[in-house]
Amino acid sequence: MSKNKTVLLYYYLFVNKASTYARKCSIHGKTDIYQNQFLVYFRVSYLFSLPDGTLSDVRNNKMAATRRLTKELGDIRKAAMPSFRDIKVDESNILNWQALLTPDQPPYNKGAFRIEINFPAEYPFKPPKITFKTKIYHPNIDEKGQVCLPIISPENWKPATKTDQVIQALVSLVNEPEPEHPLRGDIAEEYTKNKKLYLKSAEDYTKKYSEKRPSD
Amino acid sequence: MSGEGASGGGATAPARTTPQFSQLSVGIKSAKIQQNGGFFSSKADPYLELSVDGQSPRKTEVNKKTWMPSWNEHFTVLVTPYSKLDFKVLNHFSMKSDQLLGQVSLDLHKLLTLNNGKFNHLQHKLEMKADDKGSLKRSGEIMIMLDGMNVNMEQFPARTGPVPNGTAQSSTSSQSAASSTSRHAAAPPRPSASNAAALSGAAAASQPRGKGPAPPLPPPPNSSASGATSATVTAPSATTTSSTTTSTPGTPSPSVTTAPATTPTAQQNGVAPGGQEPLPAGWEMRIDQHQRAYYVDHNTHTTTWERPQPLPAGWERRVDNRGRVYYVDHNSRTTTWQRPTTDTLQTYQQWQAWRQNRNQNMDQMANRFLFPQQLPQAQENDPLGPLPDGWEKRVDANGRVYFVNHQNRTTQWEDPRTQGIMQEDPLPEGWEMRYTGEGVRYFVDHNTRTTTFQDPRGGSGKGPVGAFGVPIQYERSFRWKLGQFRFLCQTNALPSHVKISVSRQTLFEDSFHQSNALPGHVKIHVTRDNLFETSFHQIMRLQPFDLRRRLYIIFRGEEGLDYGGPAREWFFRLSHEVLNPMYCLFEYANNNNYCLQINPASTVNPDHLTYFKFIGRFIAMALYHGKFIDSGFTMPFYKNMLSKKLTLADIESIDPEFYNSLVWIKENDIEECGLELFFHADFEILGKLNQVELKPGGENIQVTEENKEEYITLMTNWRFNRGVEEQTKSFLEGFNEVVPLQWLQYFDERELELMLCGMQEIDVDDWERHSIYRHYTRNSKQVQWFWKFTRELGNEQRTRLLQFVTGTCRLPVGGFAELMGSNGPQRFCVEKVGKETWLPRSHTCFNRLDLPPYKSYEQLVEKLTLAIEETEGFGQE
Repeated sequence: MSKNKTVLLYYYLFVNKASTYARKCSIHGKTDIYQNQFLVYFRVSYLFSLPDGTLSDVRNNKMAATRRLTKELGDIRKAAMPSFRDIKVDESNILNWQALLTPDQPPYNKGAFRIEINFPAEYPFKPPKITFKTKIYHPNIDEKGQVCLPIISPENWKPATKTDQVIQALVSLVNEPEPEHPLRGDIAEEYTKNKKLYLKSAEDYTKKYSEKRPSD
Repeated sequence: MSGEGASGGGATAPARTTPQFSQLSVGIKSAKIQQNGGFFSSKADPYLELSVDGQSPRKTEVNKKTWMPSWNEHFTVLVTPYSKLDFKVLNHFSMKSDQLLGQVSLDLHKLLTLNNGKFNHLQHKLEMKADDKGSLKRSGEIMIMLDGMNVNMEQFPARTGPVPNGTAQSSTSSQSAASSTSRHAAAPPRPSASNAAALSGAAAASQPRGKGPAPPLPPPPNSSASGATSATVTAPSATTTSSTTTSTPGTPSPSVTTAPATTPTAQQNGVAPGGQEPLPAGWEMRIDQHQRAYYVDHNTHTTTWERPQPLPAGWERRVDNRGRVYYVDHNSRTTTWQRPTTDTLQTYQQWQAWRQNRNQNMDQMANRFLFPQQLPQAQENDPLGPLPDGWEKRVDANGRVYFVNHQNRTTQWEDPRTQGIMQEDPLPEGWEMRYTGEGVRYFVDHNTRTTTFQDPRGGSGKGPVGAFGVPIQYERSFRWKLGQFRFLCQTNALPSHVKISVSRQTLFEDSFHQSNALPGHVKIHVTRDNLFETSFHQIMRLQPFDLRRRLYIIFRGEEGLDYGGPAREWFFRLSHEVLNPMYCLFEYANNNNYCLQINPASTVNPDHLTYFKFIGRFIAMALYHGKFIDSGFTMPFYKNMLSKKLTLADIESIDPEFYNSLVWIKENDIEECGLELFFHADFEILGKLNQVELKPGGENIQVTEENKEEYITLMTNWRFNRGVEEQTKSFLEGFNEVVPLQWLQYFDERELELMLCGMQEIDVDDWERHSIYRHYTRNSKQVQWFWKFTRELGNEQRTRLLQFVTGTCRLPVGGFAELMGSNGPQRFCVEKVGKETWLPRSHTCFNRLDLPPYKSYEQLVEKLTLAIEETEGFGQE
């Protein structure tokens, strides 16, 4: 029993970090005890099997995706896009970008929206994923911040697509919603039937939740 | 195996005594395990491994939670008097390496000598030892029972070994491990001086009596003389050789207590006339009142006037079920009613020598030709190349060529290299393709009973197309292929299978060892609460070929006759378990494809390769026994099983994004758009990034228009193999042990899937149970209509509806409850969107159907049908 407890202790200590990495194991919501024991075992043994420091510095600069992203990041910073600012990239992990989206059209021009762009290890063979960290009242962005952006959908993705094109597409989707392909049917309905009400709700929402726009 | 080789080449390898194979029944009774310290607060789950001369071990069942396991299992093993039996007691752990609790190695020769060459329900206690911080410590004892062995020990003198005298019964683990790897090089230890010094010398001394008139030694005849020299070399105590040794030394003095009956034999033999060899073990000569000598066989409780001769090496006397005595020649694996004598064998040997001589003459005749040794030449020129590993080409008594697969003990008529080669195009009905002895292809027309070298298919078209868009001929041919496969399965069912009729009794007995003793059936006990572990353990401890015997699956506590029901359920449930991505052994191909493939992250389980081997065996069993499994593998996985080359197009089914990108690179000028691609690639396993150079120095080689074809080829291969090479190898190994992979060569990957999975039925109740609604409720009219519509569809249409809303026609292992979206679990959702004039829309990345609020059932049917039919694939979002 004591051995099990030790294992469990390790489990709780590491579960936060490990869960990100062991996502593939745990995507199922099952709570079968027997299977959970496996998970515990897998996670713990996985952590023990890593050499020291692996967790932090796995994403070194020799990766295939890195060369391309370093170049793209440089280009974007140089171009200084008006609606995409405050780009933060962790030096140890260039696959994760954070930035502020500042739309120029009402009702979203009253605030700034923090977004996260996650590039897969297989970039540019796989498209990046975009999530809104700030709540937004928009027919094409759901409550979890997920967005269905055609340019990075699996069917449309091309390895030649550059991140600045993706951002431009995102900005125009935010500025001009597409109620024909809604992720939130209720907002889309409001948008088509009662645009005034939509504008007011969206503006209130923006004021309530969005971040301050950085001054130029 | 090596023993056979030695006896076969007897004329040239006389230095060793031919090992005699005998059947020995080893009963594993029980053990007492000493608890070592308080480290293990819980009790162990011990099981025992028995291995003969370092061969693959046999295992007992696991006893749960005890230090006093009682197994009561019997293993029948083939041994020589010099064999070494290694016993290991291990503590079983789930999903982690088992721990050695103790081991002991038993030297048969010593025990045989003590028991006069005979084991008759001999109870024996073994002390096992365990490694405790570098030193060996007694860790418990094992009770065994030996039975069924009966050899004449005089033919098997002790061989000297470097074992110290102190270890009378068990040598220590490290020595046994070393010696068991090579059977002949390391001779068993000499008996210890305390009780057997005299005997070892005497036994060895009996060896060189070959100079006497009638050598009792088996073929080869000249082995006796050199046997003497070898004995002289290895056993210094045997230097007192002489042809006058008639003082039957084979019965040692210590055996007086265990086998008193033999003592008078020795005395009787002592006065026997010179030149006569000693009586076999268990025999006694007596004189009746008329002073006539007669002989008593204490083994069988019979008497005879004739003086018994010991059986030659490799022979064994057996009694059939009607009480008739017959003799087994383990050298040639034949049986005869005739008791073999040295004379008859000598005659046979002379005949063999004569025949060999004649063959040599024939060879010389052949040398007159320009191309000597025609046969090997023909093999070298075989257009098909060498046979796969472990295969052998043989010719039967009628001159027909057949093929032996030594790896898993099967035979077949078909050449494994050409099996399934007819995939190019099926032959017309009634035709068959064959190969001559030289490997030239010819065709048999069974309709007209003629043969021809001309390919009957010519250049003609493929004929009419059947219901599924494939030529009708082809459909027919799947049935034909299946027939061929089934035929192979049937012909390679183990012979004991049909003959054994006692199985009915064992069927109701609740112990595994019974079925082990009667080899007709394999009984597998499983409990429902730990299906994976118990099945794993039992399948891995059986010999692979045992898995081809008829199966009796018994769910504990609900025993019943297995006429297929429990077996079907077992395959279904266990496949559901082992393939479950929760175990990290397999993963879904991607979010929209629930086919399974090997998970590169399986390495988190240190024993994962054993598990893949197990799954390989299990999947082969499913095919062999014609049972379905619960879920399917990806097409590339099947292609791998068929050892087909994987192409760029194969990536599409497992990773459409990756595929699209590769195709884009292939079709577009990449130098214009700054892709910054080099000949290296990354992928992520559980958060750890792995980087691979696609070719040496690839990190610094940029991809250009000129070299991009090479890049695409290398990327394709890498995409399929990354991180799963070892796992795939183990899986295929396990599979091949039970069913040779060549048998699959008839099929293509789709047919293989069909054989393994059958057609998937969509369970609408399960679907409805695990669905959610937005702006509708379970009771909304439209929702009710939707399910009514779904239920009224046929399976094929339903599959298309599923594909329309989820983008795949495959369901996850757990059914609709485990449906996945692009961001994790996402149940099927019906949302009220739009006006009644709209068509329904689907969001396949979120498993969502936008269903407008239609006014009537008819309208819903019309719109939904239109949407499903008009939409190609899943281009909805």
